[in-house]
Amino acid sequence: MLTRRTFLETAALAAAPRTRPLRIAILATVYRLHSHAQHMGDRFLVGYPYGGVWRKPNAKVVSLYVDQKPEGDLGGARAREFGFDVYPDIAAALRCGGSKLAVDAVLLIAEHGDYLRNEKGQILYPRYEFFEECVKVFQAEGRAVPLYNDKHLSYSFEKAKAMVEAARRLRFPMMAGSSLPVTWRLPAIELPLDCEIAEAVMVGEGPSDAMDFHALEGLQCMVERRRGGESGVRAVQLLTGDAVWKAGDEGRYSQDLLGAALSRSDTPLGLTVEDGRTQDLLRSGELRRLAKDPAAYLIEYRDGLKAALLMLDGAVKDFNFAARLKGGEVASTQFLLTPDPNVTYSACLMHHAWRMFETGSPPYPVERTLLTSGMLESCLTSKLQGHARLETPHLAIAYKPPRESRFARA
Amino acid sequence: MDSHHHTAVRLSSWRRRWRSGRVAGVPTNPGLEQWIACAPADPAVRAGSGQPIIVIAMRPKLAAVVTTYFKYSHAQHIVDRFLDGYGWNGAHHYPPMDLVSLYVDQVGPNDLSRERAARHPGMKIFPSIADALTLGTGRLAVDGVVLVGEHGNYPRNEKGQTQYPRFQFFEQIVKVYRDSGRAVPLFSDKHLSWNWEWARRMYDTAREMKFPFLAGSSLPVTWRTPSVEMPPDARVSEALCVGYGGVDSYDFHGLETIQCMVERRRGGETGCSWLQAYRGEKFWDALREGVWPRPLMDAALTRSHTLTPARPGFTHIFPSTEDLRRLVRDPVAYRYEHTGGLKCTMLLMNGLVRDFNFAAYVNGSREPWSTQMYLPMPDGRTTLADFFSPLVNHMETMFLTGRAPYPVERTLLTTGLTAAGVESLYRGQARVETPHLAIAYRAPRESTFWRT
Repeated sequence: MLTRRTFLETAALAAAPRTRPLRIAILATVYRLHSHAQHMGDRFLVGYPYGGVWRKPNAKVVSLYVDQKPEGDLGGARAREFGFDVYPDIAAALRCGGSKLAVDAVLLIAEHGDYLRNEKGQILYPRYEFFEECVKVFQAEGRAVPLYNDKHLSYSFEKAKAMVEAARRLRFPMMAGSSLPVTWRLPAIELPLDCEIAEAVMVGEGPSDAMDFHALEGLQCMVERRRGGESGVRAVQLLTGDAVWKAGDEGRYSQDLLGAALSRSDTPLGLTVEDGRTQDLLRSGELRRLAKDPAAYLIEYRDGLKAALLMLDGAVKDFNFAARLKGGEVASTQFLLTPDPNVTYSACLMHHAWRMFETGSPPYPVERTLLTSGMLESCLTSKLQGHARLETPHLAIAYKPPRESRFARA
Repeated sequence: MDSHHHTAVRLSSWRRRWRSGRVAGVPTNPGLEQWIACAPADPAVRAGSGQPIIVIAMRPKLAAVVTTYFKYSHAQHIVDRFLDGYGWNGAHHYPPMDLVSLYVDQVGPNDLSRERAARHPGMKIFPSIADALTLGTGRLAVDGVVLVGEHGNYPRNEKGQTQYPRFQFFEQIVKVYRDSGRAVPLFSDKHLSWNWEWARRMYDTAREMKFPFLAGSSLPVTWRTPSVEMPPDARVSEALCVGYGGVDSYDFHGLETIQCMVERRRGGETGCSWLQAYRGEKFWDALREGVWPRPLMDAALTRSHTLTPARPGFTHIFPSTEDLRRLVRDPVAYRYEHTGGLKCTMLLMNGLVRDFNFAAYVNGSREPWSTQMYLPMPDGRTTLADFFSPLVNHMETMFLTGRAPYPVERTLLTTGLTAAGVESLYRGQARVETPHLAIAYRAPRESTFWRT
């Protein structure tokens, strides 16, 4: 068991000056070109740009576990080139084939690969299952190491919660989530800490439950800075189709904020694709024509804040946020998802993972992603239950946002 | 110039152009809907008493004079923003002015100007530049002119310059000004002309006739990642841009990228004394010999969002020199010196990047200072070339205030550097002396790039 004493020793070791490269295990569902594992894992093999420098972290990937190896698997080639082994299971990867925990940090990247979907449309990526394997090793060894978990914690809130509790119990630093909170913003704004937010709208696009998760993280990293900090979500409702427009007409989300968010988009579709023209999608009515299958994720926070995520496939192809602060000021920005194949936003994310591995301090609380994981699951449950409004007492998740901004701006 | 004086000049220029007055509450003029209040949003426009002056100005009328108008041509990007508005400061913004006339030099099968005129009946298409400016009345009948001489089928000369008729259009515009005894603000897209002598004449004419003149690229005014500005009065010892595109086209954008930064240095801009181009093998020789600082080039590359992966199977990997040679088929460098000694390098590295990245040594630091001038480019990445939005917004400022928000001397200098680059390449990459580019000017202290 990990005791308080061994934890403190571990912490002291981590704080000591270190010249030996930090040993990293990568646990991936697949390691193919353009998969999350390849984008992020490679950052620790070939470096990444951050702050105007191509950084080579003082790290060595020492082991890899890959759950699925379809055609195009790069894991074996990477292992040969960069001098590490691919192990048949997670415990072996964490022990590098030996009998003791032999890594200083874990990158858990369970995105992409061929996994089943449940009745809510969630892809059953084995994040919790991978994590549990790590926890078993940590517990057996009485020592735990920092862990980065890509994207949601789990499709299941109960599993996600168990992950956060395990990290707390075993006292290891953990971060999770999307790259949206850490990528560039256009404009490069941050909501002032302790601001009063009257209402917020996020606009995104892409399939559930991949891209709606990113959008919810974009929303959450902004609104968590409001006065009183985050206190959790009281209820959610997921609307689709015409009900989305009707909810807008009824003022269940702000048309002004929707317009503000859309004004940040560089990707209006329809007539812009046809002949290049600029468009006021909202006032022209084109929005409703283009977004044929819209979805509105209505979020009621416990402190009264109302937010909406609108997924507008067919109308735009980027992620934009707007909020009205008390007093009337509207703040809006685009979360810039830089182009393939560099996806430089993943460098921003891995820089924060690396900093956590180095310092033992997560850049932002994992509770953010616990909340977004739960919000998403409950929204998808709402959809399954006839788009009912669902009370979410289990989402009474309180946390304080980081004082310092973590998005890319240097 | 102190702020009081500044305000006075600005107000008097407003008064000259449009009616103004000290008005409390709602103005009483009849036909109010065709007037707009422009001043309250602009804190610069205030009386010495501290009382805000409400300036009631008629919506300026604009003419656009363009070479051609098809999807994703510069004219489409720019004129459409006046007609259909654009996202600005978190709202869809409609410029408070009316683009009432359009001249299109080449109307091809992919033309959009007729569709635009049909959808915007307030804009009439005229068969000549003079008619577009006079609205057929024989006298200048607009308050501002937008000249877009980019795209279209124009001959190339032996140096590879596309002979866009910017100067010829300009001459026709100023003829109307002269004949009417009145000159109005003019925006000219990109470099002033492919021909230095003509560019200089355009500049001299605008000065002589005292009309506000704005020109150049969208690179100086677009987003930056990170969103940073060269500190005013910085000491800059070397500056560099890594970009892409062709000679006599995107080289100009790269030069404007550098110039909008280095013009803020201590002492202000003084002009350039020589330029040398390097291309092909001579480029690689120069890279090897360290003609420009490799750390600045590397720093600029770390700012790119579009670095071609140097190896198959990787998505983002820093290129070695061998990788560069393999990826970049026809590299071009312009190395040039400012009269105060600052040396700059503009690199076009097609095959390696598809964005414009800047790096410099600033204030004695050995660590490069760098950013990217971010273009949301509709080459598959976006659908809107929204870097035209800040450019159009600056035009609006000029048309409303009668002042160019940044000096046209910047673009006079980059026009000359572009022509010098072409000349150096034409003369076998010889060093070209540029005594004619001793162009001194002061950059505005205030940033004019997109930050809001």
